[in-house]
Amino acid sequence: MDTVDIILLIRYLFFAYAITTISTYLILAVISVVETIEYMKRNSFVNYKEILSSTVSPSISIIAPAYNESLNIIENVRSLLSSHYANYDVIIVNDGSKDDSLEKLIKAYDLVKIDYLINQQIPTKPLRGGVFKSTNPAFEKLIVVDKENGGKADALNTGLNISNNRYVACIDVDCLLLEDALQKMIKPFLETTDTNVIAAGGVIRIANSCIIRDGKLIDVNFPKKMLEQGQILEYIRAFLLGRMAWSRLNGLLVISGAFGLFDKKIAIDVGGYDTHTVGEDMEIIVRMRRYMEEKKLRYKVAYIPDPLCWTEAPDNYKIFISQRNRWTRGTIETLKMHRKIAFNPNYSSMGLLSYPYWLIFERLAPLIEVFGLVYFGILVYFGEVRWDYTLGFITLAYLFTVFFSIIAIISEELTYHQYKKKGIGFQLLMIAFLEPFVVHPFIIYSAVRGNIDYYFNKKKKWGEMTRKGMSSTQ
Amino acid sequence: MNAYHSFLDYLEETPTIIQVVWFSSVIFLLLILVLVLYLKYLRSHLRQNERIESVYNKKFESNLITYLYSGNEDEEITAEQLLIINRLKKNTADPFKRKVLISTLLKLRNEISGEMARSIQNLYIQTGLLNYAIAKLKSKNWELIAKGINELTQFHIKEVHDEIIQFINHPKNEVRKEVQLYSVNLFNFKGLSFLNIIETKLSEWDQIQLLEVLQKFGEQQTFDVKPWLQSSNDSVISFALKLTEIYNQFDAIEELIALLNYPDEKIRIEAIQVLNYFTIVEAKSILKDNFHSVREIEQIAVFKMMANVYELEDENFILENIVHPNFEIKLRALKILKDINIENFNINKQIVTNTEFHKIVNFIETN
Repeated sequence: MDTVDIILLIRYLFFAYAITTISTYLILAVISVVETIEYMKRNSFVNYKEILSSTVSPSISIIAPAYNESLNIIENVRSLLSSHYANYDVIIVNDGSKDDSLEKLIKAYDLVKIDYLINQQIPTKPLRGGVFKSTNPAFEKLIVVDKENGGKADALNTGLNISNNRYVACIDVDCLLLEDALQKMIKPFLETTDTNVIAAGGVIRIANSCIIRDGKLIDVNFPKKMLEQGQILEYIRAFLLGRMAWSRLNGLLVISGAFGLFDKKIAIDVGGYDTHTVGEDMEIIVRMRRYMEEKKLRYKVAYIPDPLCWTEAPDNYKIFISQRNRWTRGTIETLKMHRKIAFNPNYSSMGLLSYPYWLIFERLAPLIEVFGLVYFGILVYFGEVRWDYTLGFITLAYLFTVFFSIIAIISEELTYHQYKKKGIGFQLLMIAFLEPFVVHPFIIYSAVRGNIDYYFNKKKKWGEMTRKGMSSTQ
Repeated sequence: MNAYHSFLDYLEETPTIIQVVWFSSVIFLLLILVLVLYLKYLRSHLRQNERIESVYNKKFESNLITYLYSGNEDEEITAEQLLIINRLKKNTADPFKRKVLISTLLKLRNEISGEMARSIQNLYIQTGLLNYAIAKLKSKNWELIAKGINELTQFHIKEVHDEIIQFINHPKNEVRKEVQLYSVNLFNFKGLSFLNIIETKLSEWDQIQLLEVLQKFGEQQTFDVKPWLQSSNDSVISFALKLTEIYNQFDAIEELIALLNYPDEKIRIEAIQVLNYFTIVEAKSILKDNFHSVREIEQIAVFKMMANVYELEDENFILENIVHPNFEIKLRALKILKDINIENFNINKQIVTNTEFHKIVNFIETN
């Protein structure tokens, strides 16, 4: 094979990759639409209120790790305590905060230290201040655990050890849960009769610029910054046109760390969250699925498309890059840790569909894109570029991206129609056209940085995520 | 025109792959244009629908209030009421208006009770809306059937029971669920008779919903749970166990004890929970005999019951389990031992060297 053949081969590989990517996205979009329609039909006349006060509704623990969240911890806990579900408690794990989070909680919720026998099923960092409960009956559902710092995964594991309930909802403390979120999330666990639902994830929506008062979402607004707008579009695309399809194929490999509901027994049986990865939310799902596959048990990871959880997204490029860098490292770590699954028919759809998809279209995509750009630069340098062909390919790629984003926007309008205000439709369209220039390049940059950090900067852990706090978001 | 012809000439000369790329780009461009227009239409349509819905809502609401207050005791339907019926009837031909009318009727029905609620039900029949709902039952579309049953449930139409009960084993869970809810909402505990004929499984979600509906009818109810505790359908047994506990069906103790040897583990555990609730000491010997042959999850249920029904004669059984590998069993066994025989508890706490064991002992001693 001479140099010309190699160059030709590289070009064909790029072309084949592009075609496969487009086809995969289109297939996933079609499956998502079918699944969304079915979901809407199935749930159009469900009365969620009927299980609100039920004494036989299963018990749920909301586990929320908190690290230096003093600014908004009181409001955030109040929001978590305002769920309409009957049978639940809230476990706040203060993960060695250096600020006055614990003091504020003690004061606001009349907490006192109690003697609590913990079944240490998963090893975690030891307790620091101990376990606290409120003397005020109004806050009887609240448990606060003060422990030494061990990271988010370690804090969640402490919550798993503390919980006495059958299900655990692991959430970010600053997330805003809608009042009926728990009812909707528990439904898949309770309605199946022939399979075990091991976990359920919900759609995460971006709360930047929304009006939130007393822990409740009052008004949905569209932010002004393009970075925030781009992320809104990205989330709609990922959740409505991606995860819905994977849910139908029973191939979900990730449930957002911001809000997920788990069968506690299985989460503990697999050893809880891995404290050595920054992608613990994806890793635990892969491990739980692997456990079920290896035990030859029927299972499902469910997905709820309803907008149940609202969170603050990065509003500047520095934090955005840091977040995406971490996501990239989390993906690399999880895929590497569970490489045994790859293309392995023993792991059914997870081995043959989900893992390859994540490897080829999530893990490798940014690298292939960068490689393509470098290759293109070399061709430009040597004057080997056919500019008319280049224009054709770039136009096609761009138009496909815009097309796909608009399909996502239409899906949103036909289902949840969250952005009702006049003018937002135009803004969504604008960002669909601009997103490839204002957000995508930074995603690629973050992914490359993530790869570099993973291989050459092993000490790097979570990175920075400065929050303004949603209680003041408007 | 020249540029267009030049582009066509250029395309003819380029390789097929490039022709496909440009062709696809044109297709995507056209699709984007269509979708943009559709999105514009969709958003305006949704907004407009909301506006129209609110207008009709107000209009129907005012009609309904006039209807309710224009009745008198002498006539079944007054002239004014008849006028309103005819006016509303005209709106039922349009599916959108029909939908709004039904939701307005339901909203009002849920807010009032007694004679007025019956008037609304009567209006539902008089306007012909009932016929539309019954027609849905004949549809091949499961969603329409389920919606029809749901509507008939909300308007308390008992007369269609025979038609609806035929769907109790419908392949779609949503339809079955609506039939079950129809049955119990309208016929209370008698409506549970569907449990005799249901062949499919009742999910936990279905069971919780049914129990919630039943709770509206109070606790003093007479029904025979025994046949359901002996059902060939495991989910019916599971539901019957919940009914037994919630409605204190003491008569069914024999059936409950028989379930301790049932093949399905989940049913056995649920039976233990109910026996525990009734503190049936007679069950203890069976549980102790079976203890070593069952899985840990069932052993935990046994110890939860032991905590309520232990006696001095159980000491040996308890002693055997103070070093059980399961934390919960160990904790309960030690608690019971401390209550039964404090001396033996003190002796044993020094023999065992396990850290977890001592953590539990310390906790028991200080609490």
